[in-house]
Amino acid sequence: MSPAHEPLTTFERNARIVLEEGVRRIDARTRSRLNQARHAALEAAQHRRTRWRSFTLMPAAGVAAVAVLVAVTLWQRNPGGELPLLEGQRSAMEDIDLLSDSEGLDLVQNGDGSFYEWAAAQTDNGESEG
Amino acid sequence: MYEFATLASPYSMPAALHGDVDQTDSSAQSRSRALNQFLASVELKAFKIAQAALRHEDDALDAVQDAMLQLARAYAERPAEEWKPLFYRILENRIRDMQRRRTVRGRVIAWLPFRGEEDEDEPDPISQAPSPEPQPVKRLELDEAMGALEQALNALPRRQQQAFLLRTLEGMDVAETAAAMGCSQGSVKTHYFRAVQSLRAQLGELYEPGA
Repeated sequence: MSPAHEPLTTFERNARIVLEEGVRRIDARTRSRLNQARHAALEAAQHRRTRWRSFTLMPAAGVAAVAVLVAVTLWQRNPGGELPLLEGQRSAMEDIDLLSDSEGLDLVQNGDGSFYEWAAAQTDNGESEG
Repeated sequence: MYEFATLASPYSMPAALHGDVDQTDSSAQSRSRALNQFLASVELKAFKIAQAALRHEDDALDAVQDAMLQLARAYAERPAEEWKPLFYRILENRIRDMQRRRTVRGRVIAWLPFRGEEDEDEPDPISQAPSPEPQPVKRLELDEAMGALEQALNALPRRQQQAFLLRTLEGMDVAETAAAMGCSQGSVKTHYFRAVQSLRAQLGELYEPGA
């Protein structure tokens, strides 16, 4: 394991022997603390990996179940597929239609109430025929 | 490669049938084991390198601990061949941060009117006591050589010291050392050459192992 696999000079060889001896003489307290630090680091890595997996391996069935639940809830609220209109809502919509019609507004301004009577009669006839 | 060959063999089929989760677990375990082995292989040398730079045992321990944590948190999933240069790069950054902080602290303390010396650690009398065992001649020679080398290393510019220790003690090649130091391979060669020149000029051949 020479640096860069080059032949070492005598000085470099000796320096390595001396430095490695220094490493061998590291006391037990320091070794123990380094050992603890290593295990803390490994635990941190493990914790991070577990957390990541809990996100990435979330079961697809769970997501599908939520989707089905939402769909069923919506279907139960409106089995026909369209939200029903209350009677009051229907007449309100018709009033808005009449008011938005400029011709109808002119008739109101002219005070011609007979038109509305005729229109109401026409509507009643249409509904009874239908 | 070996893992793949083992999984493909008929003997390992029951294990493979457990599904992806088990394979992921075993892969995570082998990765954790590899990281443990790597950290165990570098921790003592890293401590010596940090100690040479910081000249303080507890600071050196903190620096190594931080480097281990950061490597494990941020780079554990990287290929194992990249760990060594990455680890020493992180350690070097940590050492530099500590040195910078120490400089700032020194400036602040210099401005304080009352700065006693009571905060300084008392030397441990047990560790200071001479060993009762007679020292063999070789051990004495090594002690002297270690002391001389340590002093000479402390006198080196930081980058030269770093290049010398990474290459001589850690056995890293020029490319790995350059990655760890964050500089070009040419700079590593220059720093290393100057370090060896300077040390040899002070220490001669340093030590005669056969003597």
